[in-house]
Amino acid sequence: MSSLQIPIQHTTLKNGLRVVIAPDATAPVVTVGVYYKIGFRLEPQGRSGFAHLFEHMMFQGSENAPKMQHIKLINSSGGVLNGSTMYDVTNYYEAVPSNGLERVLWLEADRMRALKVDDENLRNQRDVVKEEVRVNVLNQPYGGFPWLDMPPVAFRNWANAHNFYGDFHDLDAADLADVQKFFKTYYLPNNAVLLMLGDVTPKDGFAFAEKYFGSIPAGAAPPFADPTEPPQTEERRGRVEEKFGTLPAMAIAYVIPTRRTPDWYAMALLDQALHGGRAGRIHRELVLEKQIAVEAEGGVDDIFGFNGPAQMTTRILHKPEYSDTATLEAFDAIIREVQQNGIPEDELQHLKVKWRSDYYSTLEGGRGGYMPRYGLMHLLACFTLFDNEPELVNSILDGFLAVKREDIQRVAKKYLLPQNRAIVFRAPVNTGLPADAGVKEAA
Amino acid sequence: MASRAPEFSAAVPALTAERPVTWPKRTRTRLANGLEIVLAESHSIPKFHGELYLRAGNALVYDRSTGLAEMAATLVRTGTSKRASRQIEEDLRRLGADLGSSAGQDTSAIGFAGLSEFAEPLLQLVNELAREASFPENEFERERRQKLEEVKLERTSPGFLAGERLRKILFGAHPYALVSPSEAQVAAYKRDDLQTVYREIYTPENALLMLVGDFDPQAMLKTIEKIFGNWSGKKPAAKEFPAPPKPQGRRVYLVHNPGSVQTQILAGCHAITRKHPDWIQLGLANSLYGGAFNSRLVMNIREDKGYTYSPRSSVHPLRQHGYFSVSAAVRNDVVAASLTEIFYELDKLRSLPVPDAELADAQNYLTGVFSMGLATQEGLLSQFSTVELNELPADYLETYRDKVRAITSADLMATARKYFDSANMQIVVVGDRAQIQDQAALFGDLTIFDNQGNQLPG
Repeated sequence: MSSLQIPIQHTTLKNGLRVVIAPDATAPVVTVGVYYKIGFRLEPQGRSGFAHLFEHMMFQGSENAPKMQHIKLINSSGGVLNGSTMYDVTNYYEAVPSNGLERVLWLEADRMRALKVDDENLRNQRDVVKEEVRVNVLNQPYGGFPWLDMPPVAFRNWANAHNFYGDFHDLDAADLADVQKFFKTYYLPNNAVLLMLGDVTPKDGFAFAEKYFGSIPAGAAPPFADPTEPPQTEERRGRVEEKFGTLPAMAIAYVIPTRRTPDWYAMALLDQALHGGRAGRIHRELVLEKQIAVEAEGGVDDIFGFNGPAQMTTRILHKPEYSDTATLEAFDAIIREVQQNGIPEDELQHLKVKWRSDYYSTLEGGRGGYMPRYGLMHLLACFTLFDNEPELVNSILDGFLAVKREDIQRVAKKYLLPQNRAIVFRAPVNTGLPADAGVKEAA
Repeated sequence: MASRAPEFSAAVPALTAERPVTWPKRTRTRLANGLEIVLAESHSIPKFHGELYLRAGNALVYDRSTGLAEMAATLVRTGTSKRASRQIEEDLRRLGADLGSSAGQDTSAIGFAGLSEFAEPLLQLVNELAREASFPENEFERERRQKLEEVKLERTSPGFLAGERLRKILFGAHPYALVSPSEAQVAAYKRDDLQTVYREIYTPENALLMLVGDFDPQAMLKTIEKIFGNWSGKKPAAKEFPAPPKPQGRRVYLVHNPGSVQTQILAGCHAITRKHPDWIQLGLANSLYGGAFNSRLVMNIREDKGYTYSPRSSVHPLRQHGYFSVSAAVRNDVVAASLTEIFYELDKLRSLPVPDAELADAQNYLTGVFSMGLATQEGLLSQFSTVELNELPADYLETYRDKVRAITSADLMATARKYFDSANMQIVVVGDRAQIQDQAALFGDLTIFDNQGNQLPG
């Protein structure tokens, strides 16, 4: 059904490193990614925030490229680079003019082979990470809301429930032995995928992969903690203080079905019916029509990028004259409506058109305006690491386009239940309202 | 710092021969009604990206109120003579399209992207928004209330408070000083005033339609003529604005944000617009100083000292004036230490020649990154927009890389001396005054404001 087909070739080296190549010579630019199948969900207990701190350490020096040389070599090749830590994967990526491809692969192989860092590097990056947490969370209005506030309220398994950015005392406790142990356990060719996209031929790409990565020894298959949640039987609620902002806020999150099941495809389109921009039911009702909320948006963030419990989350900032109760009741009315009546056929058709259009953009799209093909890289990596099937990038769209009205109503009834959700209220210390101002209870 | 780092191994692979960078051909034309059109093909996905630019924004009408063009742009998508707000949003979804309407100081814009198979209906909708927006009374009231909450909320963001203060200092009575309206101004917005602004700004003589994507340019041109051909309207008269002040000597402005656990530093001085002949040299100097990950400032205060996560410097090219700025969110106890390094690195570029190897690295960086936009429709659109909106030469993209490569170390020092105006930098710090006031006062006469913009006693 889907018309856009991405040419893909892939192989596995003897050491278990999977290599995926998506050639496209339109522009003389190549994007390289290395994804390791370890994210912050399964980082060691007592070391919250470690997976992310470790990601910073991967830029601090490897056997043949000491501190600062990695960044310097990429930038001076005309390229850009970054890395990010997610729930179940950590990625490192570069986009360079294609004449720098071999140099990038040499660098990535060097740090997959051996990390060479010292205590000073660790102290330095611990300080940098603390400022990152301050600038993104502790010193911002609604910082970390709800991505850091929700897990401890919604989940009971430490893997899903802890502070992914890290408690400062855990960051302080991390030492070099932790760094090397984490590296030896998870940063293995047999726990990774190498991706090359853009101006590279499969023949060259595979040869370079063998040349630079082929001799890196495989390691024992890493142990992974079990991220399974115990069954939830009732709605969970939590409250967090908002230090800077003056509007009351809440986030409502439902656990979504397991990926690539029929319910998951239907849930994705239901998510669009609820959260698809200004036409989405939640924004339309709460912001545009009832005008209770100033902001009401959300959805499943990075739906292809999870390999464990994931949520569909709505984030609402509402006017102070509406109570939390009234706001939540207006939200619940939207959920009840879709459970009782499903969605009309024409709405479903429109959602599918939009989904297809968005999927194309994901495949083409860069990140931050400078990293071409980030989206395609991310999908290929996740389909390889989680499903061992990168070709899914060309067929997965069909699953969404096959969803029927009855599927949408079924998942609404099955998953949008109080015992499948958690709510976090982010309550401003200062509401900006006069002390005697009335609060509306009726929505 | 870079000078201390050991060199990397000789095993690092050399760069191979470069493939030529070729920018797609642009089809440029102008309709009889004055509408400028730029089209370019890019077949990466069966979609297209577009912008309808209007060459005027908040500055044109700043004497009436602040942010009027922006508020008008917000209202543009909320109703036309043919479609109600809800219909517009549902039609966009039906066409698989995204759309945004916004305005800055110099430009208003309707940006959009959609499936190529629905190009015509999407352009019809864009045309309707540009010509027949009806500013429904109820939508206006709602958006005004939304805006009130927005302007309250932004006063709790350290980045906003720093930027707002620096613009006031650098631009004084010039409209570029006004980044956001006050609550009182928003409360006083009138629907009629917005409609007047809309009629003045949204005219074909003032407009540029730019499309990049999966289409045939000749067929697309016919579609555009059919849809936009009978639009009419004059360009608004240009306005003279007061000259910005020329602040002499370093001064420090502390915005007191109680409870801050970090300090936002933002220092800046006047620079140039993108049309200025020194622009490319200043871009290179900026990338060496703090515009790239591998830049001196990042290596110093992040990778060596760990003061901050995200230091950076930027050149901001507004249409009439440009300015240079350095920003870093730092630990409260290293505000003075960070400012010392910020000025040390500025002065070093003014005093010592950049070594050849470092110059070559920076030239490679700038020329390489310039080509990244080639790979996506959005990237191409952004580069083409820069050329058109700033009225740069038609071969700007094609000649840029050679111009970067021709810059010498002597050029760079001259550029740094001219534009990294270290002695007259204006310094803004946003944080908790009890923790940072003494440090801030080391760098110049200190003025203190609260986060509402009121001056506080020192």
